[in-house]
Formats: sequence, structure tokens, C-alpha cells
Amino acid sequence: MEQEVWTFSDYIMLVVSGVLVNNILLIRFLGNCPFLGVSKKMDTAVGMTFGVIFVLTCTGPITWFVEHYLLEKFDIVYLETLAFILTIAVFVQLVEMVIKKVSPALYRGLGIYLPLITTNCCILGTCFYNIRFKFGFMPTVVFSFASALGFGLALIIMAGIRERFHYARIPKCFQDTSIGLITAGLIGLSFFAFAGLAK
Amino acid sequence: MDGSRLVKEFTKGLWKEIPPFRFVLGLCPTLACTTTVRDGFGMGLCLTFVLVCSNILISLLRKVIPSQVRIPCFIVVVATFVIIVELVTQAYFYSLYMALGIFIPLIVVNCIPLGRAEAFASKNEVIYSLADGLGMGLGFTCSLTALAIFREVFGKGTFLYHHIMWSGFEPFAFLQKPPGAFVCLGLMLGIMNLIGSGEK
Amino acid sequence: MEVLSATIYPMLVMGGLAAIYALGLGIASKVFYVYVDPRIGQVEELLGGANCGGCGYAGCSDCAAAIVEGKAPVNACVAVGPDKWEAIAKILGKTVEAGERKVAHIMCRGDRQKAKRRFQYMGIEDCRAAALVSGGDKECQYGCLGLGTCVKNCPFGALSMGENGIPVVDRDKCTGCGTCTRVCPRGVPKLIPESQKIATVCNSHDGPPVVKKLCEVGCLGCGVCKKVCPEKAITIENNLSVVDPSKCTLCGKCIEKCPTGAIQQILPA
Repeated sequence: MEQEVWTFSDYIMLVVSGVLVNNILLIRFLGNCPFLGVSKKMDTAVGMTFGVIFVLTCTGPITWFVEHYLLEKFDIVYLETLAFILTIAVFVQLVEMVIKKVSPALYRGLGIYLPLITTNCCILGTCFYNIRFKFGFMPTVVFSFASALGFGLALIIMAGIRERFHYARIPKCFQDTSIGLITAGLIGLSFFAFAGLAK
Repeated sequence: MDGSRLVKEFTKGLWKEIPPFRFVLGLCPTLACTTTVRDGFGMGLCLTFVLVCSNILISLLRKVIPSQVRIPCFIVVVATFVIIVELVTQAYFYSLYMALGIFIPLIVVNCIPLGRAEAFASKNEVIYSLADGLGMGLGFTCSLTALAIFREVFGKGTFLYHHIMWSGFEPFAFLQKPPGAFVCLGLMLGIMNLIGSGEK
Repeated sequence: MEVLSATIYPMLVMGGLAAIYALGLGIASKVFYVYVDPRIGQVEELLGGANCGGCGYAGCSDCAAAIVEGKAPVNACVAVGPDKWEAIAKILGKTVEAGERKVAHIMCRGDRQKAKRRFQYMGIEDCRAAALVSGGDKECQYGCLGLGTCVKNCPFGALSMGENGIPVVDRDKCTGCGTCTRVCPRGVPKLIPESQKIATVCNSHDGPPVVKKLCEVGCLGCGVCKKVCPEKAITIENNLSVVDPSKCTLCGKCIEKCPTGAIQQILPA
């Protein structure tokens, strides 16, 4: 996905790719732990989605800056992992403090997911992908947003289905996580229909 | 040093609290890195190394780290060992490094090292933390390898890149793809629960 | 020189980055400081922790905050006992009035043999869903549908399904949180004082001619119990008899005279 000039349709394709074709969760396997924990109810899923969209869209560009203006300048790119995770952890901590002070109502709805988002592989993974795919600044922002959107989409679909599991007669050994994983696989299979739509 | 306790901490990671089946943690590499047995085994060993080293270091430093900043400190310790693993695999096991891709650096946000640091290493002596890390890591490696064997043998028809199925065998390509990983892990988890409930 | 740049520079850069972050967070924690009453945390630890909603608040944290602010009484949490209430009261410097613990009881005896069914229901195994299908498969519109919604939703595992399709309450585990009453589409489980020994185990407000046709053991609302009670402990409210436990002396006359056996002794004397 190395390009010099990005047209608007390129950005649209990037969004389609991030959300549907290469869904960060179902195809790229990032973000599974909170996926199974938070998708039991719709309201927790929606809270987590907004949290991830906000954090990822901000940390994607921030880590891009850290990589290009700090690590590359001093030739310590091998410390990328450390620098990125520190940046993400600090950012999330800062956001949590601000939200707690500015809007307790928002903190109730969203704040409890923020510590969970710090160790969400989808955040760090997308930051890595931004570097691996050699994106410029604007594509980084768009790709981060698209990945978060894809995560949210998969999460909300999953929550909608799992709420109905409450009434289904599932054998005891398959309840909870097991059937959740199988369902995730089947949802992922349906996302395969989008393959070939974009790179 | 209590020998029986040492054995207990080591063996619990191998069956009773085996990640990712009993302790549902560390699912991302379980799904992503098990397309072939080499990848699954390799990822398991990488994680074992990080887990053991970070458990030891955090256990050594447990009296020194202040409680308010313990999570960032744990993250920094785990990240250090992850970078070491990343550089070693890049230098000596290049094909494994290319196959595992971003999942090696993602060990830093894997719930297993951080979870064990928080729950165990920060509260127990070094020798028990080592046993715990080793047990969990080896248990994780076994789980990953088991899943990878299933996915490679039936999904590709090979075992460690040698064809072992009969010539007319049509592999279940589904198992090699991401949805197949989810379904396969889900079924294995269900079967493990069945075996586990039978034990009770 | 290379050794210098390989070791000193990374340490300086990462150290500098970490120092900037630490400084930033330190400043932010002062600027965005929110005062949290430490008593809220202490009270929260004494609460049930099940987030059952019996107190009427969204969760245990909300309840703790409300108790400390004075919006909720000290004994708001029904899931814990008087000893915890006293501990909470001590933290806040208040006193707690002693109240009697309430437990749930399923007010229906109309199982598959005794109550008539209109049709055979084969759908989602949930009483709420069954109640939506033409008003449920039981003839009696107030009766227990027996699909176990209350059993599944009890946060303390105090309910289990009886053999005849009516749930049974384990009094040791029941905390009186009221979740079963809320999830039942008919409100069949009711909270009664722990010591109440005689109660009308029926939920039906239908009059005598209707109840006679629908169920062998339902309360007809005939009023015989009210007439024979020497303490005037029984009233008929809307075709359903109600026993007042504070006046009841356990004489048992109502149980003898009840034509259907709807009034029962639910606890041994």
C-alpha cells in the first residue's frame, strides 16, 4: 500500500479495506480478548466501540509522529515496541483523567473501558501496521479510524447475536467463550464475501 | 523453598489453568499464529521466554515498584524482553520472524505476561514466579502446537512442511483461513470443557 | 563513538520521552484532580458486589455513592445482612434501624396437573417470551408459566426449578433483592417477611366462577378465610386473599376452611 499521491477514492478504498475486507478483528485477529469479554451486552459493546474509535484515531497519528520524528532521527527504530506502548498507555491515562474531570457522565459510560483499551492488541497492532504499510500522515489517520470502525462493527454484530444466546439451548460445555468463538468464525466467514473488493 | 509448592505452581499452567483454554487469555496469537506447527511452536516459545524473564525481573523488583505506577512498570519490563525476542528471531530465525510478523511485538500487550505479572509475580518470590511463568508458557506452547497440528494437518495436509496425508486428500482450506481459526479454537475449547467437567 | 551512540543515545531519548510523559501526567493529575470521597470505596467494599439492582441503583458503586451522599438509607443494600448495615452506619456516623429480612416466595401452586393449559407452547424457553404468545399457554393469566426465567436471572442462585414446573426458593441463599419479581412477566414471586408462616400461594385476581374453571388450587376470592380468622388478619383485595403476618397467630382455621387449599403453611411452625 505504498503510494506517493493519495486520491479521494484511494482513501475510500482504504476505509473499505479496513472495515470490511481486512476487518481488524475477524481477519487480522487483533483485539480478541475484549471482543469476547465485552460483547455479551449491547450497551457495553457500544461503549467499547466509541472508546476504541477515539483512542485509536488519536494514537495512530501520535505514534506515527513518535516513529518518524523521534525514533528514526536517532536511529533507534528497534525500540518501537517500547515507545509505542508507553505512548499509548500515557495517552489513555491522560484521556481518562480528563474525562473523569470534565464529564462524569461520559466517564461512567466510557471511562471503565479505557484501561482495557490500553492492552487491546488492536490499538498497538494498528499502530504497527501504519508503519509496516509505510503510510503518510493522512493515510495513517484514515486507516486508524477505519480499523477502529471495523472493530466496532464486528463487536456490535457479535453483541447483537450473543444477547440472543441467553434464550438458546446451548450444551453446557460450549457455553460462553466456546460458542462465542465459533460464532465469530461464522461472522468472519460472511465477511469473506468482501474479499477482492479492495487490496 | 517449598518443593511441593514449586511443583504445584509449575504444573498448574500445564493443565488446570492452561492458557488459552482454562484461562481465556492470549487469544490473539492463538488464532493468528497457528497456521503451521512451526509458527505455533515458535510463538509459544517466544512467549514462554518473555513470560519467564519478565516474571523473574518483576518478582525481583516487587518490593521496589510503587503501587500507583506498577502497570506502566510491568509494561516496560515486558516490552524490554519482547524487543530482545524480536531482535533474536530477526537475526537467527528469519523465516519464523517473517511468518509471525507483528505478533511478536504484540506479545507486549498479550494478557498473559501482564496478567501473570499483576496476579502472581508481583506478590511471590522469584523461584515460584519462575515456576509459574515456565508452567504457563509451556502450557501455552502445548495448546498452540496442538491447535497448529490440527490446522496444518487437516488444513494443508502437511506436518512441518512434509506432506503426510494420502495423495488424494483434499485439505480443508477453511481451517487455514481466519474464520477457520475461530471455529477450530471454539470447538477445541468446548471439547476441553467437556473433558474438564467429566473430571469433576 | 559507535558504542556511545548505541548505548547512550537510546537511554537518553527513551529516558527523555519517559520523563516528558511522567511530567505531563503528573501535571495533568493535579490539573484534573477529582475529589473522591474515600468513604465511598469503604462502603462499596461492604456491599453485596453482585450488582443485582435490588437497591434500585444501577450497580454497587452507584449505591455506595448514594449512601455516602445521603440519598439512600444505610440499609439500601438488601443483599447483605444487618451486620454489614451496622458497619456501613459506623463509617458514616449514623445509626441503622433494624428491619426484617425479606425473602421471595413463588405465589403459585398451579403446576401441570392442577392448572389447565390452552395450547402446547414450543418456543423460546423464557417466560417473558411465552407470555407474549397469546398471553401464555396457561389458562390462568396470573399464573406461573414454569419456564424458569426467574431461576436463570437470580443473581444469587437461590432459585431452582421444582419437579412439577414451579420454581423453589432456597431461603438460605435468597437475599430479597427482588430481581425475580422484576423479571417475571406476571409478578408471581413476591417478597414476604422471613418469618411469615401462612400465606396465600396464589397470584390470581380473577373472580370465583373463572378461577374454578382454570385451576384446582387457585384462590377463588370467596372470602371464607376472612370470615373464620379470629384475629381479622386476612383481607380480600381484588379477589385475592392477603394474610397480614403481624396479626396472624398460626391458629390454622383459614387453612382448614379454604375450599381449594390456596392458603398454605409455608414454614413449619
